[in-house]
Amino acid sequence: MANVSVAAEWQLLYNRYYRKPELYPMRWRHVDLARNKLAAAPFGGPLAVIRDDSKIVQLHAESALRKLRLFSSSGQPLADTVWRHPGGRLIGMSWTDDHTLICVVQDGTIYRYDVHAHLIEPNLSLGKECFESNVADCAFWGNGVVCITEANQLFCIADFKNPESVKLADPGILEPPRCMAVIEPQYTISGNVEVLLSVGEGEEDAAVLAVEEDGVQRLGVEMLRGPLQKMVVSRDGKWLASFTHDGKLLVTTSDLTEIIIERECESALPPEQLAWCGMDAVLLYWDDMLLMMGPDGEPVSYLYDEPIFLIPECDGVRILSNTSMEFLQRVPDSTVSIFTIGSTSPAALLYDALDHFDRRSAKADENLRLIRSSLPEAVEASVDAAGHEFDVSRQRTLLRAASYGQAFCSNFQRDRIQEMCKILRVLNSVRSPEIGIPLSIQQYKLLTPYVLIGRLINAHQHLLALRISEYLGMNQEVVIMHWACAKITASLAIPDATLLDILLDKLKLCKGISYAAVAAHADKNGRRKLAALLVEHEPRSSKQVPLLLSIGEEDIALIKATECGDTDLVYLVLFHIWQKRQPLEFFGTIQARALARELFVTYARCYKHEFLKDFFLSTGQLQDVAFLLWKESWALGKNPMASKGSPLHGPRIKLIEKAQNLFAETKEHTFESKAAEEHAKLLRIQHELEVTTKQAIFVDSSISDTIRTCIVLGNHRAATKVKTEFKVSEKRWYWLKVFALATIKDWVALEKFSKEKKPPIGYRPFVEACIEANEKGEAIKYIPKLADPRERAESYARIGMAKEAADAASQAKDGELLGRLKLTFSQNAAASSIFDTLRDRLSFPGAS
Amino acid sequence: MAQIPNLDNAPLNLTAIREQSQKELIHILKHVRGKKCLVIDPKLGDSLSLIIQTSSLKEHGAELRHLSAEPVQTDCTKVVYLVRAQLKLMRFICSSIHNDVSNGLQREYYVYFVPRRTVVCEKVLEEEKVHHMVTIGEYPLYVVPLDEDVLSFELDLSYKECEVDGDTSSLWHIAKAIHKLEFSFGVIPNVRAKGRASVRVADILNRMQAEEPVNSSDMAVPEINTVILLDREVDMVTPLCSQLTYEGLLDEFLHINNGSVELDASIMGLQQEGKKTKVPLNSSDKLLKEIRDLNFEVVVQILRQKATSMKQDYTDMTTTTQTVSDLKDFVKKLNSLPEITRHINLAQHLSTFTSKPSFLGQLDMEHTIIEAQSYDICFDYIEELIHKQEPLTTVLRLLILFSITNSGLPKKQFDYFRRELLHSYGFEHIATLNNLEKAGLFKKQDSKSNWLTIKRTLQLVVEDVDTANPSDIAYVFSGYAPLSIRLVQHAIRSGWRPVEETLKLLPGPHLETRRGGFSNSPSFDTLSGVSTSIAKVPDGRRALVLVVFVGGVTFAEISALRFLSSQESMAYDLIIATTKIVNGQTLLETFMEKLG
Repeated sequence: MANVSVAAEWQLLYNRYYRKPELYPMRWRHVDLARNKLAAAPFGGPLAVIRDDSKIVQLHAESALRKLRLFSSSGQPLADTVWRHPGGRLIGMSWTDDHTLICVVQDGTIYRYDVHAHLIEPNLSLGKECFESNVADCAFWGNGVVCITEANQLFCIADFKNPESVKLADPGILEPPRCMAVIEPQYTISGNVEVLLSVGEGEEDAAVLAVEEDGVQRLGVEMLRGPLQKMVVSRDGKWLASFTHDGKLLVTTSDLTEIIIERECESALPPEQLAWCGMDAVLLYWDDMLLMMGPDGEPVSYLYDEPIFLIPECDGVRILSNTSMEFLQRVPDSTVSIFTIGSTSPAALLYDALDHFDRRSAKADENLRLIRSSLPEAVEASVDAAGHEFDVSRQRTLLRAASYGQAFCSNFQRDRIQEMCKILRVLNSVRSPEIGIPLSIQQYKLLTPYVLIGRLINAHQHLLALRISEYLGMNQEVVIMHWACAKITASLAIPDATLLDILLDKLKLCKGISYAAVAAHADKNGRRKLAALLVEHEPRSSKQVPLLLSIGEEDIALIKATECGDTDLVYLVLFHIWQKRQPLEFFGTIQARALARELFVTYARCYKHEFLKDFFLSTGQLQDVAFLLWKESWALGKNPMASKGSPLHGPRIKLIEKAQNLFAETKEHTFESKAAEEHAKLLRIQHELEVTTKQAIFVDSSISDTIRTCIVLGNHRAATKVKTEFKVSEKRWYWLKVFALATIKDWVALEKFSKEKKPPIGYRPFVEACIEANEKGEAIKYIPKLADPRERAESYARIGMAKEAADAASQAKDGELLGRLKLTFSQNAAASSIFDTLRDRLSFPGAS
Repeated sequence: MAQIPNLDNAPLNLTAIREQSQKELIHILKHVRGKKCLVIDPKLGDSLSLIIQTSSLKEHGAELRHLSAEPVQTDCTKVVYLVRAQLKLMRFICSSIHNDVSNGLQREYYVYFVPRRTVVCEKVLEEEKVHHMVTIGEYPLYVVPLDEDVLSFELDLSYKECEVDGDTSSLWHIAKAIHKLEFSFGVIPNVRAKGRASVRVADILNRMQAEEPVNSSDMAVPEINTVILLDREVDMVTPLCSQLTYEGLLDEFLHINNGSVELDASIMGLQQEGKKTKVPLNSSDKLLKEIRDLNFEVVVQILRQKATSMKQDYTDMTTTTQTVSDLKDFVKKLNSLPEITRHINLAQHLSTFTSKPSFLGQLDMEHTIIEAQSYDICFDYIEELIHKQEPLTTVLRLLILFSITNSGLPKKQFDYFRRELLHSYGFEHIATLNNLEKAGLFKKQDSKSNWLTIKRTLQLVVEDVDTANPSDIAYVFSGYAPLSIRLVQHAIRSGWRPVEETLKLLPGPHLETRRGGFSNSPSFDTLSGVSTSIAKVPDGRRALVLVVFVGGVTFAEISALRFLSSQESMAYDLIIATTKIVNGQTLLETFMEKLG
C-alpha cells in the first residue's frame, strides 16, 4: 500500500517523525562544497559560491582567477562575476533579507552584490580601526553584521539600509574567542544587537561574554566547566545550542542561566556545523555524519559521502550537497495521522476510502460510514497534509481525498480546498527547478505573497510575478513598474519610439500606474527623450511637472503646471527657472505666462522688492515701478532715522517725485502722476506748517484734515492757502470749515461764515453741525434758511420742535413724511395728535 | 460657551467631515510628544473654534498662542506653528525663530501648513535660513462646516487675490475641497458655473477627477445631484446693499465672526460692566433658526408677540388655579425664555442702528442707485458723503454700487471722485483705488451700462413686498431680489439655457456639463437645456444641490436660498459653500491697502 511506502522514509526521533525529501537534484556542475565558501539565503533563496581562499585547493582545468557564482536553490546558474577585489581574504559572506549579497573582506571593506552579480556601489567600510587591525571573523543576521578584529574589537552594522558602523563595547580579551554568535536586535531587551563570545581556557575562566554597544556581561560562569567550542542561537533568540569542550551538546536559555538539555556526543571534536532544525531538534555535522538530537531518545544519524551545507529555515533545515538539495523537517501532524503505519485516524480512513473508490471497491462506502461523524476533521487533515507536501502527485491525491470526503459532509468550509489549491499552485510554480524557490507552505505564509513577488521581480521573473499577483488578486503595479524599469535598463540598443511602444503596451495593463516614475528611471539611464515621451502619458500633474523639470523641459513644465491650476506647481517651476536662468531670460519666460507672472509678482512684492523693480523695468511696466517707489516713500516716512532732522522729507519727497515722473511716462496714468505731484506738494506744505506751528501733527494727514487742523488752530490764512494750492472746491470747503468751527464751538465765527456770502450748498451743513453738537439755539438760526420744506421739517423734528416740524411738513404736502415724523414723536401724545390732524387734512385733497 | 455648531440635521453627513478634521488635528498634537506651544495664526484660530474645543487641544499638552509679529513667549521646548500657507505669516515665524536663536534658546520647531505645504512658503523659510530647523507637516483642512447647511472654505482673500493679484491659488483649493466632498458623497453629476473663476474651478475639478478618480461605482447614487458655482464678480451689487434680514443686520452692525458676535455684556443684560461677551449664532438656537432669515421688521413683531404671550401665560399662572400638566407646559415654555431674552436684547441693540437717519438715508440711496433712474441725485449724495468725510467703507460701498450699475463712471467724474477721495482721506488710498480699478469695481466707463436690462429681465426690483408673508426672495432687501440668487433660482429650475442671453450681459463665461460615468445615463438625452429631471434619492429625501459662491456670500443671500429651499415647489435641498461669509464692509476691506 502507498501509505506504507510514505512512512517508510521517516525517521523517529524520540516521539516525533522526521523526513528528508529531496527537493532538487542540483543542476550545477563542477561545484565542490569542500573547495568553496558558500552563502545561502533562507526562504529558498539564492546561493552564492566562491572558491575558499583560506584553503589550499587543487586547480583543475580552471582559471586561477576566482569567480563569484550565483545559483538558485536548484543549482540553476543565475549570474557570475570575477572576483578581483583588494582587501585581503574573504572573511564572511551572507544574503540580506532583500537579497543583497554582503561580502566582508579582511581590511573591513564590504562589497555588495545584487542577485545579478552586479556590484552595488558604493562599497562600505567598517571603519579605520578594522582597516588597521584586520577583520578576523564575522557573524550575520537578517540585515546586519558583527565583525571581530584581530585586536578583538567588535564592530557592527545594524542595518544595511542605513550602513553606519558602530563600535561595540570592548570585551577586554587578549585571545580571540573560541566562537561567536549573535542575538538579533528584535529579541534583545535593549533593542540593539547582542554578541555572544565564548572565552576562557579552563573551568575557572570559561564564560560567554554578552557584548552590547554600551557594556559587556559575563554569562554562564556558574554553569560552564570549560569553554564552548561552537554556539548557535535559535530563531526566536531564546535558546542557545552549544558544543562543550568535553564533547557534549548543551542547550540553554540564551542568557545561560538554565540548562535545558545536556547530552553526550561520542566525539570530543567540535562539529563543523551546528544548526537548529525548527525549534525542537539540533543538527550536528562532522565530516561524513549528520547527527540529529532531540530533547530525549536516541539521536538519528544520517551518513553522507560528500560534503554538505546546512541551511536553517523556520520549519526545518535544507541540506545542500554537491548533488542535491534536501529538506529535513518534522513530519506535520496531519501527515502523520494519514500515513503512519496502521493509522486508523479518520483522515487515514478517508485516504483509504478514496483508494477503494478509485478501484471501484464497495469498501469505500464502509470506510466513510465508519468516520461519518468526524468527516470534517478528516477533510481538514487531508487539506493540511496536501499543503505540506512537495510531491505534486501526492498533493493531488490528498486534495482528491479531501474533496471526496467533502462531498459527504455538509458543514465543511468549502473554500478551504479552493484556497489550498490556490496556494499550492503558487508554491509549485515557484518550486519548479527553473525558478528554484523551494518554499514550504509555512515559509510561504511567513514570507507573505507580497515579499515573494518582490523576490521574483528582483530575480527578473516578471512574467511569473505578474501571473501570480493577478492570480492572487494583488496589485500588479509594482510588477509592471519594475518590469518597465528593468526593460529600459536592458534595452540600450532599442530606439526610443520602439521602446516606448513596448512599454506603453504593458503599462496600460495597470490603471493609475505612475508613468512619471518610469520616465524618471529612463532619465536616470540617460534616455532623456524617452523620458519626455513617457511623461506625456502621466495624468497626474503633481508627478509630471517635477519630472519635466528634472529632465530639463522647463517650458513644458510651466505650461502643464499652469494648465492644471495648482499654483504650488507653478511656483515650483518658477523657482526652478529663476535659479537656472539669467534674470532677463527669466523675466522673458514668465512675462509670457500670465499666471506665472502674477505669482512671481505676489512673491516678489513680499520678499524681493528690488528684483521686482528690475522686472517691471525690463517689461516696461513703469507705472508699477512708480507704485513701488511711492509705497517705499511711506516706509521711509515711518522710519524715524529718515524722517527726522532738517533735510527731513528730502529723500521721501524725491521718491514721490520719481514716481510722479514714471507715471507721467504713460498717458493712461496722468491722474496718478498728478496725485503724486500733489502728494509731494502737500508734504512740503505740511512740513512748513509743522515748523511754523511747532506741532508735529500735519505730516501724513489728508488735505481735508490739514485744512480742518489749520482752522481748529485758528490759522485761517494757512487753511485758505491750502485751499487755493489744491484748488479745493467751494462745496468741500464749506463742509470742512463748518465742521471745524463746530468742533471748536466757535459759534460766532460760524455765523459770520454763514453770512460771508450765500453758501454754495445752502445752510444744511450749518444745521447739521449745530444739531450734531447738540446746540439747538444755534440750529434754529439756520433751519428757517433751508430751502426744502422737507429738510426743514426733519430738522425741526430732530431738535424736538413738533409744531414747527408739522408746519413745515404740511407745507411740503407730504403724507408719508408726516407719518414718519409722528413715529418720532410717538412718546409725546400732544405732538402726535398734531400730526394726525395734519395728515387727515392732507389726505382730503389727495382723495378728491 | 459651546460654539461648535450642531450638525445633526444637516442634509449631508457634515459631522463626519468635522470629526475627520478633529482627528487629524489631534493626531498632529499626539505626533509631537509631550508639552508643546501651539502657535496658531489668528484667522485660522477662528476657523478652528468651529471644529474643536480649545480644552481638548490643551488636553493634548498644547499651550495656545496666537501668531503675531511678537516673538513667541513660552517655556516649552517644542513649538508647533499651525498656519495657513500665506507668505506674510512666514515672516512672523522666521522672526520668532531668529529671536530664539539670538537669545540662545534651543527649541524644536514644527510648522504645520493648512491645508498643505507650499513651495513658495518653504522658499521663504529657506531664504530666511530656518528651513533646516523646522519639521514641516500638513493639516489638510479644506472646508469648515459653519452650520447645518453652510460650509466655508475660509478663504477670506480669495476674491481680491483672484481679481487684483491674479493669484488663483484659492480656485485650486475650492476644487480640491469639492473633490474631497466627492470622495465622501460621490461624484456630482451636474455642474453649472457662471463666471471666470467658477468655470475654472469646474475645469480643475474635472482634472482632479481624471487624475485621482473617485470610484463612482462604489456609490450607487451620488448624494449631491448638482453643483452650482457662482462668481462673486457676477453679482457685486448684492453684497454692497445693506442686508435687512435679522442675521444680515447682525452681521452688518456687529460683525458675525465664525458663527458668533462679540458685544458689550451690558447689552445682553449681564451685570459685567465693560466686559465683552460672545453670543453664538447657529441652528442650535431654535428661536434663531426661526427668525434669522426673516426681514428685521418682522422679527421685531415676532419677538414682541412671543414676549406678550409669555407675559400672558405668566399672568394666567399667577391668577387662576392650574392643573399639573398646565404647569408643565408653562415650565417648558419657560425654557425658551433665555433665547427670547437674548434675541430681544440683540434686536433692541440693532434698532439703535436701524433708526438712525443716516442708515435710512443710505438705504434710500441704495435703492435709488439700483433703480438707476436718477444719476445726478446719486452723484451728489456720494459727493457729499466724501466732503463730510464719512467712513471710507460707507462711501466706497455706494460709490462701487454706483459704478457697477453704470458700467463705470465717465472719465471726468471718475477722476473727480478719485481726487476728492485722495484729498479727503489721504493719498495712501491710491493703492486701494488701484485695487478697485483692477478688480473692475470702481472704474472708468468703457461701455454702455446694461444694468437696466438685467434688472428688468431678471425682475430684480419687486414692488409691494410683503415682508411678513413673502412670496419672493426680494423680501431680504425689502424690494430688491438679489441677482445672485435669481441666477441660482434659474439654474435650479431650468438650467442656464433660458437665461443665456441675460448671462451674456454679466461678466465671465458660463458652463453647464454632466460629468463622469453619468454622461451615458439615459437621462442625459433628455437633458439638453431644460433638464433637471429630478433625481430623487430613493429614501424619499430630496436631492441635494450644492451652491458654491466663489468670492463670498452674504447672510441675506443665504436667507434667500433657505427661503427658496422652503418653497413647496422646490425639488431640492440646498447646501451652501462659500469662500467666506462676507458683507459689503468685510468684502471691501480685503481690497483696502494702505500704503502707509
